[in-house]
Amino acid sequence: MSFLSEVHLDDKFGPFVAFQEALGFVPNLLRAQTLLPRVIEAQAKLESALRLQEGAIPRVQKERILLIVAAERQDTYCVAAGNRVLSSFGVSDQQIDDLLNKHGHENLSAADLACLQFCLKLSRHAPSVHSEDIQALRAYGFEDKSILETVFATALAAYRGTLSVGLGPEPDFGTRKTTSRRVDPPRGVACHAPLPDPHGAAQKRPYLPAPYLSSKTFSIVQKSHGFVPNFFRSQTLRPDLLEAELEAVDRILLPEDVLTRTQKECILLAVSAANLNSYCVAMHCNLLRGLGMSAEEGDQVAVDYHLSTLSEADKALLDFAVKLGVRFAEFSRQDIVNLQTFGFSEEQILECEVVVALNNFANTLQMGLGIEPDFEPPLIPAQNKVHLSAATSRPIERALVTPSLTEVQDPDARLVAEAQGGKLEAFEELVRRHNQLIYRALVAILGDPVEAQDAMQDALLSAFKHIAGFQGRSKFSTWLVSIARNTAFQRLRGRKEVESLDGGEYEEDREFRPRQVRAWQDNPEQCYSKSEIRQLVERGILGLPAKYRAVVMLRDIEQLSTDEVSRQLGLSVPTVKVRLLRGRLMLREWLSPHFTTRATS
Amino acid sequence: MITCEEFFLEFADYLENRVSPEVRKELELHVSQCRVCQVLYDSSCKTVKIVTESGSFDLPKSVSDPIIDRVMARLRAGPT
Repeated sequence: MSFLSEVHLDDKFGPFVAFQEALGFVPNLLRAQTLLPRVIEAQAKLESALRLQEGAIPRVQKERILLIVAAERQDTYCVAAGNRVLSSFGVSDQQIDDLLNKHGHENLSAADLACLQFCLKLSRHAPSVHSEDIQALRAYGFEDKSILETVFATALAAYRGTLSVGLGPEPDFGTRKTTSRRVDPPRGVACHAPLPDPHGAAQKRPYLPAPYLSSKTFSIVQKSHGFVPNFFRSQTLRPDLLEAELEAVDRILLPEDVLTRTQKECILLAVSAANLNSYCVAMHCNLLRGLGMSAEEGDQVAVDYHLSTLSEADKALLDFAVKLGVRFAEFSRQDIVNLQTFGFSEEQILECEVVVALNNFANTLQMGLGIEPDFEPPLIPAQNKVHLSAATSRPIERALVTPSLTEVQDPDARLVAEAQGGKLEAFEELVRRHNQLIYRALVAILGDPVEAQDAMQDALLSAFKHIAGFQGRSKFSTWLVSIARNTAFQRLRGRKEVESLDGGEYEEDREFRPRQVRAWQDNPEQCYSKSEIRQLVERGILGLPAKYRAVVMLRDIEQLSTDEVSRQLGLSVPTVKVRLLRGRLMLREWLSPHFTTRATS
Repeated sequence: MITCEEFFLEFADYLENRVSPEVRKELELHVSQCRVCQVLYDSSCKTVKIVTESGSFDLPKSVSDPIIDRVMARLRAGPT
C-alpha cells in the first residue's frame, strides 16, 4: 500500500494493458495514482513514447539511464523495477551491480559510458550542463535525435523518481542495494565542471536544431499557455515525444477539478525557482500574470512565497511541493499528513505530487536542451527591497538575483526618496521626467487627447498624495503609470458607455484576418509630411478599441519592451502579444488606403 | 510549403523577429511564393516603422509645462 488510497481500476484500463504487454507487469507506481486515472494516462504516454518502443537509442540503454539516475537518487523502488526490466533484456546481475556501483560495465562502449555520465551530470547538476557537454556527446557519434532521447530519458527518470518519493509505492520486486560510488567521467563530460556563467556568450542555445512543425501541432499548449513556448518548439526533432508531453500537459495542468490552475502554476514557479531554473521561473511568472496575479506578487512567490499574499494553506502546499521536488531525501509520509491538516484531500495531494514530477521533468529537459527563454528574466528588485526569509535553503537568491539584476537600480530612486521626505522640487523633477509617459497612459485608456491633458493634473496630484506609500517593489515609472491608469479608469466610470480594457486571456483575436491586400509604396513615409503622418497615426490609434490602443501606445509609441508593457498593464506577455498583433493589423488596415501604390500615385 | 493559415499563426513572432532559424526559413519560403502574405508582411513591417517613428502623442512642453506648473503651485500652497 502506498502513502495515498488506491481505488480499483480494471485491468483493461489502457495504460495498465500497455505496461503489462511491454514489461510483463503493471508498476505499483501507476497503481498508486488510481485516485486520478488521467494522471496515470499522462505518465503512461510519456513512458510509452520513450521506454516501451525502440527509438534513436536502444531500449536497453534507456533502461540503463533510468536505473543509474534512480540509484543516484537513492530510489529503491525505481532501482528494483529497473533491475527487473534490465534482466529481461539479458543484462546479468553482475553487469547491473557494476552499473549501480560504477555507472558502467565492461561490455559497454565508450559512447554508452559517456551517455550515462552525461545523464548523471544532468540529474545531479542540471544548471551546469552546457553546450560543450552536447558537443562531447556528438564527438562520441551521437546524433541529435539520440541526444534528445537521452535528455528525455533523464527527465523521465526525474518524473518517476519524484513520484516514487511522494507516493511510496510498494516495490514491484525485491529491493537491492542502491549505494553508488562516484566514478571519474570520461573526458569532455565532466561531472563536476565549474558552474558556467548563465549569461555567458559561449553558450550556444538551443543545443539541438528544431525543424519547423506547424503551429497546429501545439494547439494544446496554445490553449493552456496562450502561446507556444520555446520549450516545446525546441523538441520538434521527435514529434512523438513532443506529442506525449503535450498530452501530459493536457491531462495534468489543464483540468481544474482538483487543484486550480493558479495553484498548479504557483507549484511550478516555486519548485522551478528552487531548482534554479530561470527559464521556467520566467515562464510561470508570466502565466500567473495571465491568471490575474500581479507581476510583483509573482516575483515574490519566486523569491520567497512565505512573504507573498498567498493563503497559509497554499503556502503549506508550496512547502510540500518544494520539499518533494528539491529536498526529496527529507520527504516522508508525515509531510502528507501535515498537508492534510490544512484541508487538502488525497486527490489534491496526488495532483500536487504529479505537478511537481512534471516540473522536475520539464526543468531537466530545459536545462539539458539549453532552451532559450521566451521572456526577459523576472525583474527581482534590489536585495534590500526583497522580502527574503532568513532560511538559508533557498538557492533562488544566488540563481536569479544575479549581480546584473541586483545592481538594477531605479534611476528615480534618489528623487523618490527625497519626494517621500516632502521635498517638492524632487517631485517636480520626477513628473517633468515622466510627463510623456503619464500622458500617453491616459490617452491610451481615455482615447481622447484633450481629456487626457485634463486628467493629467488629477493624476499628478494623486501621485503626490500616495507617494509615501510607494515601496519600491516596481520601478517608479511603472507605479506612476498605475496611478495614471487608475485616474483614467475613474473618469471612464463617469462615462455612460465604458470601453473595457479587459477581455478573456488568449482571446478571440487570433481569428482576425486582414482584408487590405494591395501592395504598399516602397517608401510610404515619404508620400506625406511628418505632421500629416503623425495625424494619420494618431487618428488610427485613437480609433482602436481601448484594449488594443493601450498595448500599441506603450509598445510602439512609448517603445517599451513587451515584458514592460505586460507589467504596466497587468497583462500576461502572451496576451500583450496577441493584442499588439491585432492592434498593428488594424492600424495597417487603417493606413493601407493612404500608402498603397494606387493611393499615392 | 506551409499554408497561409500556418504562416499567420507565426506572424506575430515573425514581425518581432522572434522565430528560430528553422521557422524563419519556412516563413521566408512561404513569403517568397505567396503574394498575399508577402504584401501582409511588407505592409505590416512598414506600419510598425511608420507608427514608431511618427512622434505621435508627443505632449509639447507648451502644453505640459502649464499643467505641471499648476499642480506644483497647488502643492506649494498646501492643503486647502
